[in-house]
Amino acid sequence: MDNMLEMYLYETNTLLEQLDELLIEAEKNEDFTTNDVNEIFRIMHTIKGSSAMMEFSPLMEIAHHIEDLFFYIRENGLDAMSESHKNDLFNLMFQSTDALRGEVEKLENDEPLSTNIDSVITDINSFLEKISGKNASAKETGGAASDVKSSSAQSGSLSPDFLPEGTYPQYIKIMFEEGCGMENLRAFMVITALQEMDIPFLFYPADVESNSDTIDFIQEHGFYVCPESRELTEVAVNVIKEINSVSTFEVLDHAAASAPAENTAEKPKEQVNASHPSAVSAPASGSASSAASSSGTPAKQSLISVSLSKLDSLMAIVGEIVITESMVTSSPEIQNLKLDSFLKSTRQLRKLTDDLQDIAMSLRMVPVSGTFQKMNRIVRDMKKKLNKDVRLTIEGENTEVDKSIVDSISDPIMHIVRNSMDHGIEPTTEERIAAGKPAQAEIVLSAMHTGSEVIISVRDDGRGMDTVKILEKAERNGLLTKPASEYSQKEILSLLMVPGFSTNEEVTEFSGRGVGMDVVKKNVESVGGVISITSELGKGSCTTLKIPLTLAIVDGMEISVGNSIFTIPIANIRQSFKAEKESIILDASGNEIIKCMDEFYPIVRIHDLYNIETDITNIEDGILIWVEASDKSYCLFVDELLGEQQVVVKPLPAYLNNFNIKDSGISGCTILGDGNISIILDVLNLYLVSENQY
Amino acid sequence: MSNENTAIDSIAEDSVTDIPTSTERFLTFMSDGLTIGVSTNYVTEIITNHTITIIPLVPDYVKGIINLRGQIIPIIDIRLRMGKPSIDYTSTTCIIVLNIDDTNLGIIVDSVQQVIDIDKAQISPIPTENHQELINGMISLSERSVLLFLDHEQLARVY
Repeated sequence: MDNMLEMYLYETNTLLEQLDELLIEAEKNEDFTTNDVNEIFRIMHTIKGSSAMMEFSPLMEIAHHIEDLFFYIRENGLDAMSESHKNDLFNLMFQSTDALRGEVEKLENDEPLSTNIDSVITDINSFLEKISGKNASAKETGGAASDVKSSSAQSGSLSPDFLPEGTYPQYIKIMFEEGCGMENLRAFMVITALQEMDIPFLFYPADVESNSDTIDFIQEHGFYVCPESRELTEVAVNVIKEINSVSTFEVLDHAAASAPAENTAEKPKEQVNASHPSAVSAPASGSASSAASSSGTPAKQSLISVSLSKLDSLMAIVGEIVITESMVTSSPEIQNLKLDSFLKSTRQLRKLTDDLQDIAMSLRMVPVSGTFQKMNRIVRDMKKKLNKDVRLTIEGENTEVDKSIVDSISDPIMHIVRNSMDHGIEPTTEERIAAGKPAQAEIVLSAMHTGSEVIISVRDDGRGMDTVKILEKAERNGLLTKPASEYSQKEILSLLMVPGFSTNEEVTEFSGRGVGMDVVKKNVESVGGVISITSELGKGSCTTLKIPLTLAIVDGMEISVGNSIFTIPIANIRQSFKAEKESIILDASGNEIIKCMDEFYPIVRIHDLYNIETDITNIEDGILIWVEASDKSYCLFVDELLGEQQVVVKPLPAYLNNFNIKDSGISGCTILGDGNISIILDVLNLYLVSENQY
Repeated sequence: MSNENTAIDSIAEDSVTDIPTSTERFLTFMSDGLTIGVSTNYVTEIITNHTITIIPLVPDYVKGIINLRGQIIPIIDIRLRMGKPSIDYTSTTCIIVLNIDDTNLGIIVDSVQQVIDIDKAQISPIPTENHQELINGMISLSERSVLLFLDHEQLARVY
């Protein structure tokens, strides 16, 4: 929680800083550019989203209203506004950002958030009304937003006639605990709880689920539920009693409703507001704002942002130190000397350099939660669009991965989640129920560590993949390389990741553009990862990504071929063994093949492939290394194994990229303890090179 | 890592005074009997006897890479790059490390000669019929010798 709060403060402060800069620059030019508007919209959107996540509702409210305002401005264009309006807008924006900053400061100083933000919101709303009113073409979106707000702003005119129409004898007025936040969603929880009991009822405000503006109304006047009969009211009361965060509720007769309702309405607004500070200090158990205060100590921002390039150069230098350290301590000049205190010091040095390396590595590690949280939003949006009831479950979001890897897996995960939403989950609830599954579908996004890898999986309980259809489609698209009957389940599923394959006939907004899983596969492989799909028809499918923790340091096996030294990532090595001449078989085109564990694997001789002179050309003199990368598995023939070592990966000089060095099976190089360079092999590409050569 | 680096900085520090603005300092080296000059603005250092790690599947003139105090620098044999026959490396063979627009590059030359000041205005273009790769100018020195100028941009570029 502390971590999240820290992240939140850091992010929000940065955004507010950006916003300030932007506003100041814009005011200088006395105009907003379209970019500015989009940027403000984006910033407010982010603040709104993260505040909602942290349940800081005042911040969320303000950001939300500004977002609405800029949505309107964006839709209607800037030119529609007059000079004076623009001036007002600047003032308003500065006021609102100050209000936001004030709230953030309160969070930092561990003070309770102010619950009275009405003045800011009223300002924003009245401004929105002003500019939208002037525009005869009041857009639906802007107009609707302002309508709702005006109804809540003009709270003085509240009367029972806002209650839903219909015949019902009684209604229940529910008040939530002060400052518990997200009242609209809490109200929605009441609705779902009642719906589960099969109680027919009406409620007001009617749009609590989708309209967060109703929070104001519920805070002030409560949430109204109107069951159809007196008997049902009793049942409903029992349900409501069970719900957390409901502080009080009243059962009122419909006919006599006018009296209490008007009481509420006539209560001067100031009085309501004045009562808030005292109420906040009262123990509001389980309230959102107390989550922040429970830590006791003020939550000062203690994060700084550092450019990744600085971290990279730090990594490079630490790598150098590690190498230099071993150069010094294993220097041949001191090999035969007895130097007790020197040895002691070098051991100390080694320990420190190891620590240094660990810390430098950990600097680059970030939790995957950021990427995962984004999926919440995607699922939510698609849920609305596709009208599917889906729940996203996130597991292991604190798993840490190298920053550069997090960046490059964000898109693949998004794509997979979209695929699951769009194709995986059944289009209708009925279909799910008919299949004997719970009405609400589930997508599970999980991450976990296993040694040097992170396993990220996206699992859904949808329809699963129809291997027959996949085969047919692949055949139509001419993607099959052997008779359809010879494909195994695993092979069929991997067809999904062949370029030019998209199982959906129709192209939708979200997926099915034909560039799909193949791009995902490429992205994952570019960070040294492996992707696999499993699926059971009718039960759901699971996409698994295996990603290395970091690209900066690799556990490698040093091997020699002639005078050259190469490093093969340990992660790719399955086994190394001596082969006997008899076990080598030649295939039709004369390529060597060897049988291990009842499967046949091609042999790639590095000295042939790279034209390196070596005395060891007889298969029995050297050693075979069985390697595997993604879906390729084969044996490398090398002279000898030199040993295992952790190496710091260095990119090859940019000049060499001119020769497509990346496509020749070389992923980088590393400096060995003696100062020599070892070339790091890319097992996957190496195989492709050898295929092209033969 | 045995460093047999000879720092260039100390060579020919004499004529520092009275340099006309059009004058530039050039390091001259020999390659296949030709005297070639390269502006000292691009020269980082001169090294000898460095272990070169071979890079597979690249043109033959790319001899490999070296580890220069942690920096990985590609090495090009200037003879092969200009389409001349290669010779065995001798004790005078040097690697000149250049930094051309942030690209580090080492070139293998037969021997390094000296640093001289050249008035750039006097550099003449190469006659088209004698076109020579990697050379973009020439100047006549005394004693009937000719100094050619290395086209550093072409060197850093790959055709």
